[in-house]
Amino acid sequence: MLPCMGDAFAGFQRSEIAGIPVLWKRDTRFKTFRVALSAYRPLDERAAARSMLPSLLVQGTQSDPTRPALSRRMESLYGAAVIPSTGKIGEGHLLRFTVDSISPAHVPGDPDLLGDGLHLLADILARPVLQDGAFPEETFRREQTQAVHDVRAMFNDKMAWAGQQAITHGCAGEPFAIPEHGGEAAIAELDAAAPEAARRDFLTHGAMWAVAYGALPEEGLLDKIGGFLAELPDRTPEPVPAPVQPARRERRATVERVDVQQSKMVLLFRPSWVEDSKVWAARVLFANMLGGGPHARLFRVVREEMSLCYYAQAFIERYKGMMQVHVGLDEAMAEKVEAEVLRQIDELTAGRFDANELDVAKAGILSTLAAVDDSIAERMEFTSRQWVLGQDRGPAEQAALFASVQPEDVVAAAQDMWLDHAYLLAPEANGS
Amino acid sequence: MTDTNGFQVVKDPLMDEEVWQATTPTGLPVRVMPTQRFTEAAAMVTFRYGSTDLGFRSGANEHKSPEGVAHYLEHKLFEDEEIEAFQRFASRGAKVNAMTGFTRTSYHFTATDQVRENLTDLLGLVSRAHLTEENVEKERGIIAQEIRMYEDSVDYRLFFDFLGCLYREHPVRHPVGGTVESIAGITPAELQTCFDAFYRTGNAALAVAGPVDPHEILELASACGLAQGGAPESLWPEDLGAVESARIERDLQIPRRKVFLGFKDRSLVADPEARLRRQLTTEVLLDRLFSSSSEVRDDLRQRGLVDDSLGSTYMSDFNFGFSLIDCETEDPEATIDALLGVLRQPVEIDDEYLERVKRKLLGKYVRSLGVVRNLAFGQAVEALEGVAPFQALERLEALTAASVRARQEEHCADEALAVTVGNPA
Repeated sequence: MLPCMGDAFAGFQRSEIAGIPVLWKRDTRFKTFRVALSAYRPLDERAAARSMLPSLLVQGTQSDPTRPALSRRMESLYGAAVIPSTGKIGEGHLLRFTVDSISPAHVPGDPDLLGDGLHLLADILARPVLQDGAFPEETFRREQTQAVHDVRAMFNDKMAWAGQQAITHGCAGEPFAIPEHGGEAAIAELDAAAPEAARRDFLTHGAMWAVAYGALPEEGLLDKIGGFLAELPDRTPEPVPAPVQPARRERRATVERVDVQQSKMVLLFRPSWVEDSKVWAARVLFANMLGGGPHARLFRVVREEMSLCYYAQAFIERYKGMMQVHVGLDEAMAEKVEAEVLRQIDELTAGRFDANELDVAKAGILSTLAAVDDSIAERMEFTSRQWVLGQDRGPAEQAALFASVQPEDVVAAAQDMWLDHAYLLAPEANGS
Repeated sequence: MTDTNGFQVVKDPLMDEEVWQATTPTGLPVRVMPTQRFTEAAAMVTFRYGSTDLGFRSGANEHKSPEGVAHYLEHKLFEDEEIEAFQRFASRGAKVNAMTGFTRTSYHFTATDQVRENLTDLLGLVSRAHLTEENVEKERGIIAQEIRMYEDSVDYRLFFDFLGCLYREHPVRHPVGGTVESIAGITPAELQTCFDAFYRTGNAALAVAGPVDPHEILELASACGLAQGGAPESLWPEDLGAVESARIERDLQIPRRKVFLGFKDRSLVADPEARLRRQLTTEVLLDRLFSSSSEVRDDLRQRGLVDDSLGSTYMSDFNFGFSLIDCETEDPEATIDALLGVLRQPVEIDDEYLERVKRKLLGKYVRSLGVVRNLAFGQAVEALEGVAPFQALERLEALTAASVRARQEEHCADEALAVTVGNPA
């Protein structure tokens, strides 16, 4: 969590402004730029209040007190967007505010779109409309109702809902079980003061960093970012604890029944927690060989050869330390699918795979890493995630790490993977 | 515009972009955007053949297809076991996929290496159909699973309920993938007939963007085995009259009521450029009323008639067009009345709004140039439609308040209106 204090990080230049690390890279291949301010807090009972901030903060600022006024200001800046978001990274709760703007080179008059964008972000983040130290009651109640509706509407996307329910049941008692939005009940119990308290907590105690990338101006970049960061309150950042890792236990299972035609299975596997990034690279390759796409075993064997499912994917949740397998299937096939997934895992952990399988898995990951620099959003996300992990490696160095993984590394890294929980979302009656 | 060894090169000096255009000796339109701005290259080959192509004239005969045949064919071509497409693309680190829409089927990849080999394979898999009783039958179960997955989506079901209200006969009313029942009747012979009819150079376009050599792309495109010639006349009912049903309701396991409301176009525009201008004026109309900067939307929101779930869109192609406004609500009747109230009232557009929306759309256009896939996908569609490159900003400049108001008057007519309501079961 504490990267080295050099003047570069993961291929970006690194500066320290107002006590906040700023990672930045000017790249003239692009016609746009982004600046993002992120803060990381433990995933806890305050998640609900934090998760309401993105919607509350875009309801207006002291200078643009209504939502339409604020939106009109963004539109006038050639559709500049301030994108507020929250998310989970392992057992951390991330809040991020991103300014996205086109380069002034493509519009008349060479306007200062970076300065205007950062001023807009400062207005949103540091100068919200408040009454008696809280968001206005009417605004808060409306957004609270909206947030509850949004959480309920997640049920409409059965694949995503199954994934969330699997985590809720499989990780019960761990912070990871808390959904990114905090949960419907927690949102409903909030009062108007809670989101403002969360905003202040975010600004003063969040482990914070800024990332800027794209067609940034040659002159005045750090001055402008510094001017923006100076508007934030004094800070005493607090670290986020390491994720909880349960002791090995017997397989547990949950079945939930709803109005659904295609059942969804989610298997949660736990590997041991290690810090060695090469072990994690080997695990990512393991999951990729198992279920990383049409080249992988779950697709080729479980779907194509055995016709047991429609989709089957596996991936590593690096920040929590977990492998998830997601399958869309007929409920009648659930036992067979789980047995076949376990058999394929046994095959791979026994080293019964050929070099080509590993090469194909590597090829996909290396290609993705080679293209990370093509996208401002993806390169910034890559840099932020490396920052959270404290891994000072750019895409090329990360690719070299993956390239160095040998078959025996994959076998060793997957030896202690155990099935903790099997979740099934199934039709209400008459099986499938 | 300049000529470069078989290519016409069209430049956009303001955005510093260029498109190389050519047609292969076999009749396949090709566009290339060579640029070193990206490490990755993207390619798309697209066919004017989609889910609404359920009938065509073949000599003196008329051929009718079951719903879902274009999507079925996409699955089969993509999973040609002799080419082992997935494995070969994956071994090169390329990401490959395909998609079927109402009027097009498209196949595409992105790759940071071996573009030549990937493009050869992409063109190879769309150039022939390897169809047997066994492999077609095996795919049926997989497609049925995919259809069931879509049917679990509330929005998907309400969307096709909505289209079923708008259209009496037009095949856009049917789900793109068909239904489990309709795909049961699809045979290898049916798929082969449709492949032979529509997978032809004169009914397709190829576009590639990224660090590539246009001449090499043209060489590969010229060598591909895609059958020459155009497609047969596709048969579809215009269905431009009154809507099939003004309103339907459906019970679903959903937490809140949902409203889908919109209008169908009662005229079609053959000229693609004119259709894009119509698309733009309709989108600006919806933006004026329902974007987050709209005081109209804000007023509805303050009165509790809509919330943040409110969305709006306009979809059109050469054979259909419709707008759609959707929202979750506690009180569908009040929401429907409020939405219709603002849609029927002449929209207010002043110079300040017009300038602002033009800025916003200019920014959106500039952003679209920052993604290599957007470049290839956009050029493939424009090449298929015969739309000249880099006309988006001219279209935007030509936008007037009067054209938006005229579009509202033409489009938002009571006889073209349909409403679908989803109720919690």
